[in-house]
Amino acid sequence: MAKKINGPQMVLANRLDDGRAVFLTRSGSWSPDTALAAYGEDAALDALLAEAAKSAGENLVVDPEAIGAILKNGVAHPAHIKHIMQAKGPSVRADLGYQAGFDWETK
Amino acid sequence: MYAYDTYDRTMVDIRVAEFRDQVERRVKGELSEEEFRPIRLMNGLYLQLHAYMLRVAVPYGTMSGDQMRKLAHIARKYDKGYGHFTTRQNIQFNWPKLSETPDILAELANVEMHAIQTSGNCIRNVTSDQFAGATADEVADPRPYAELLRQWSSFHPEFSFLPRKFKFAITGAATDRAAVKWHDIGLIVKKNEKGEIGFEVLVGGGMGRTPVIGKTIREFLPEKDFLSYMEAILRVYNEQGRRDNKYKARIKILVEAMGADEYARQTEAEWEKIKNTSIDVPAEEVARIKAFFIPPPLEVLPSQVQSVDDFAKKNFLFSAWLKNNTNAHKVSGHVNVTISLKPHGGIPGDATAEQMDLVAALADEYSQSEIRVSHEQNLILPHVALNDLPTIWADLDEAGLGTANVGLLTDMIVCPGLDYCALANARSIPIAQAITRRFDDMKRLQDIGPLKVKMSGCINSCGHHHAGHIGILGVDRKGEEMYQILLGGSGAEDASKAGILGPGFDEHGIVDALEKVVAVYLGERLEGEEFLSTYRRIGAQVFKEAVYDAA
Repeated sequence: MAKKINGPQMVLANRLDDGRAVFLTRSGSWSPDTALAAYGEDAALDALLAEAAKSAGENLVVDPEAIGAILKNGVAHPAHIKHIMQAKGPSVRADLGYQAGFDWETK
Repeated sequence: MYAYDTYDRTMVDIRVAEFRDQVERRVKGELSEEEFRPIRLMNGLYLQLHAYMLRVAVPYGTMSGDQMRKLAHIARKYDKGYGHFTTRQNIQFNWPKLSETPDILAELANVEMHAIQTSGNCIRNVTSDQFAGATADEVADPRPYAELLRQWSSFHPEFSFLPRKFKFAITGAATDRAAVKWHDIGLIVKKNEKGEIGFEVLVGGGMGRTPVIGKTIREFLPEKDFLSYMEAILRVYNEQGRRDNKYKARIKILVEAMGADEYARQTEAEWEKIKNTSIDVPAEEVARIKAFFIPPPLEVLPSQVQSVDDFAKKNFLFSAWLKNNTNAHKVSGHVNVTISLKPHGGIPGDATAEQMDLVAALADEYSQSEIRVSHEQNLILPHVALNDLPTIWADLDEAGLGTANVGLLTDMIVCPGLDYCALANARSIPIAQAITRRFDDMKRLQDIGPLKVKMSGCINSCGHHHAGHIGILGVDRKGEEMYQILLGGSGAEDASKAGILGPGFDEHGIVDALEKVVAVYLGERLEGEEFLSTYRRIGAQVFKEAVYDAA
C-alpha cells in the first residue's frame, strides 16, 4: 500500500508514446513543466486524480499517481528525490538537452 | 558463433509481428496498460522514470561486428546516440518511443538478436565467462551449453510464468569470471577422471535484498543429462517457490527454507522420473551446436613482440593498458583485449554509437569479427595478435576507450541508479564519476592494485554491491540520497558476501569514506597482498575505526 502523503500533492504520470514524465496541469492537460502543474489536497486532489484517470483511460498517459509537493511562490514542486529526477531528467549526459536540466545544488 | 536456423528465425519474426500488432492495439486504446504491461515486459520493454527502456539480449555475452554495428545504428536512429551495457551482458536503450519499438525489434531480428525474455518471471539471458573459448584456463568452452540452455528455455511453456525471474551463469574455467555462485543456477564445466565433460551444479545463489551464495547440489552432472537435470531443478522451484510474496519468491529463498540437501534430493527424485524421456538432446545435436564455437584458426606466434615491448617502454599509458586490459589467450602470440567502458568521469557501461561502430570495425579487422560483453560492463576483443596491440590501443584511446583500468578500483560495476531506474533509491552514476575523478592517477591506481568496487542504487543489487571487495549501496533516507559502504565481498570462485561497515554517508562523504578504506589497506597490506586478502586477514574493525572515528 502506498504511504499516506500529507499536504499538497500533484499528479505525475508517464506519457504513453515516449514515457516522458508529465504533470497534470491547471488547464487539465499534461506537461513536463512543473510550473504549470495543478496541485491540491483532499477533495481537490480527488478531483485531479479523477481527471488523471480519465486521461489514462483515453490512453494519453500511463500510471498516474499523486505525489507529495512543496509550494514555492504558489508553484508546486515535487518533494521526493525520485520525482525531482523525473521532473528534471537524468543528472548525467548534460550534452543531451532534457537531461541537462538537473542542478543538484538547487534541487 | 551460433547462427540462427530457420526455426530460430521464424520464431523471432513471428514474435516481432505479434508485438507490432500489440503495440498498435495499445496506441489505439484496444489494450489497456494493465493488459499491455506483461506483454511489453515479455519483449524487454520497461517503462522507467523518464522514458521506455528496451533491454536487448546478448546471448552469453557474445556478438559479431555486424550485430554491434546494428546496436550503434539503433542508438543513433531510435535513441539518443548511446546504449548501456549491463551486468547481465545485455544492452539497454534508455529512450525508445513505444511506437518505434517494433521497428527496433525488426532491425534486431535482421542480425539474429531480440529482446525476448529479458524481463518477466522467466529464464533470462544465460551469462558466461567473457573469455570463453579464448582463455587458456578453461576445461571447455561453456557457450555451447549456454546456447543449449537458450534454445531449451526460449518460450518454454512450463517455465514462462515462474514464481520470479530466473538467472543462469556458466563458466568453463577454474577462475570464475561469471559470478556463477551468485546465480539462481550456477554451472561449472568440469572433466571427470575419465576425461568426460560434465558440470558442477549450484543452486540458490542470488543478490537482491537477501544475498545468498549458491550451494552445490551435484558435483558432476554428465553432459548427456544436462537439460533433463536443469528441468528437474526448475520443476521443483516452479511447484514450490513462493508466489505469495515477490520478495520471497526467488529460488534462493526456497533452497534456504528446505535446505540444499533436501533441494538436491527432490531434484534427483524428479530427475529420476524424467531423465530417460526425450528432454536431453541427442549427442549429434550437441555436436552440431559445438561446431558453431570451434576456435578460430589462429597462427601460433611468438609470445613476445619486440616492437610492442619497445612501444610500452616509451608510453606509460600503453604499458598500463597492456598490463591491465589484456590477458593470455590459449594460442601463443595472442591476447584477449578488454575495452574499458569506465572512462574516468564517464558513465560505467555506456558506449556511444560511434564507439560501438569503432569496436565493430576493430573486431572485423583484428578479432575474427567477435566481440564479448563482460558482466563487469566492459567489451572484449578476443583472439587479438600481440603485434596489433599498439594500433588497437591508439584507435581506442582516440575514441575515449583506452582507459587502462581493467580490474582496478575505477573499473566499477555500477547500475543506472536513480538517473534512469524506476526502482532506484539513489543515484549511482554521479558517485562513480566522483570516485573515478578522485582516483584518476593511473600510477596510484596501479599501486593500489586489483580491487573490485561495485555499486547499486537500491537493494535490488543490479550493481552487485554484495559481491564487491568494496560495495556501495544507495539508500533513501527520508527522501534524501545516502550511501552505505560494504567490505569483503567477492563474485569470484572464492565468493563471499560483503558486510555493511556502518552508517551511511552523503554523496560527498561516501567518496571520502572509500578513500579512507583504501588508505587503511595501503597501510596494512603485506608484500604483494591484494585488498580482499588484507581485509580477510585483519577484519572490518580497523577499517571501521578509520572511516568513522575521524569523521
